[in-house]
Amino acid sequence: MSGVPAVGVGLVIADPVPEQQVAYVGLVTRVISFAIDAALITLVDIIIGVGAALILSLLHLPHGLRIVLAALGGAAAILGSIAYFVIFWSTTGQTPGARLMQIRVRTDDGQRVKPRRAVVRCIGVVLAALPLFAGFIPILFDSRRRGFQDRFAGTVVVEAPGPSIAEVSRAKKRAVYEASRRSPPAPLD
Amino acid sequence: MTDGERARSRPSVLSPVIGLGTRAATATLRPVAGVVEAAAGASLRLQRRAVDRVLESDELERVVIVAVNSAHIQEALKLALESDGAARLVDSLFDSGLIDRVFERLLESEALWHLIDEIAASPAVTAAISQQGLGFADELGDQVRSRSRKADDWMERAARRLVGRKPSVLPAEPGAGT
Repeated sequence: MSGVPAVGVGLVIADPVPEQQVAYVGLVTRVISFAIDAALITLVDIIIGVGAALILSLLHLPHGLRIVLAALGGAAAILGSIAYFVIFWSTTGQTPGARLMQIRVRTDDGQRVKPRRAVVRCIGVVLAALPLFAGFIPILFDSRRRGFQDRFAGTVVVEAPGPSIAEVSRAKKRAVYEASRRSPPAPLD
Repeated sequence: MTDGERARSRPSVLSPVIGLGTRAATATLRPVAGVVEAAAGASLRLQRRAVDRVLESDELERVVIVAVNSAHIQEALKLALESDGAARLVDSLFDSGLIDRVFERLLESEALWHLIDEIAASPAVTAAISQQGLGFADELGDQVRSRSRKADDWMERAARRLVGRKPSVLPAEPGAGT
């Protein structure tokens, strides 16, 4: 279990929000969010891995070199996973899983998470998971629902309600339709 | 000679006379019949021309519009449609099997399936279907989010009860936050 990393993401909100207006997110929601992210990462890893294996199968490489390549592939997968979380947390503000669950990570004082803090949080997640995921148990008892990784990196996970994918799609279609109505048709030659 | 025998012998005596009369009448009326036939044909052609003129005129359109807008006609139509006779007519229409035949023929028609394919492939329909799919995904997402928030609270309460700690004041309701 590792519900925690999913929650994160660089926060777009710049102004600190008054304490009483913030809704912190609990363990179950964070686990679901992380599971979605893990599924996405795994899917991409499988596609890349199968593609690489097919290409390598055409080459007659020595056994030792194959082992080295496999180790490099594993390292690349780990780095890719870390990059996934760090990039989403510090750029768009939410991982895809967090977007679906409408949650977001921000700093203790409501600021956007910077890349360095996102990396620290990633390390915190790993450390929290090492002792049989005991690092996530504080989420159940902390008044701000913070796990080890949150305390380690100085972050919190909060609700981030926003328009759904369908609502965004409808709004885009509506905008296109209204734009087409406003612009007069091109004259025929 | 009895009366019966007299009656039986009469046709044989009168038949030449009757035949002569019939032939005379036929010969006399033959020209008249031709004239009548020609007159009937001319009348029919005249009627057709008159109907054509009426159908081509603007007057017919005006008459139809006035008739459709007429309150009397509308009332009469309404009464006719509400009558038992109209209901019986509809029943008999369905009982006759005509509707079934119409639908059977429609389903056998290539044009109908072509039309359905065209409609199904039209941008408006595909957009509506995709919107419906997104709407379903939205609804599913809402359900998952709602249940996960409840599960958050439940798990927190259960954990605190387990270790004998006082339940904390639960965080604000989902959606009330940032």
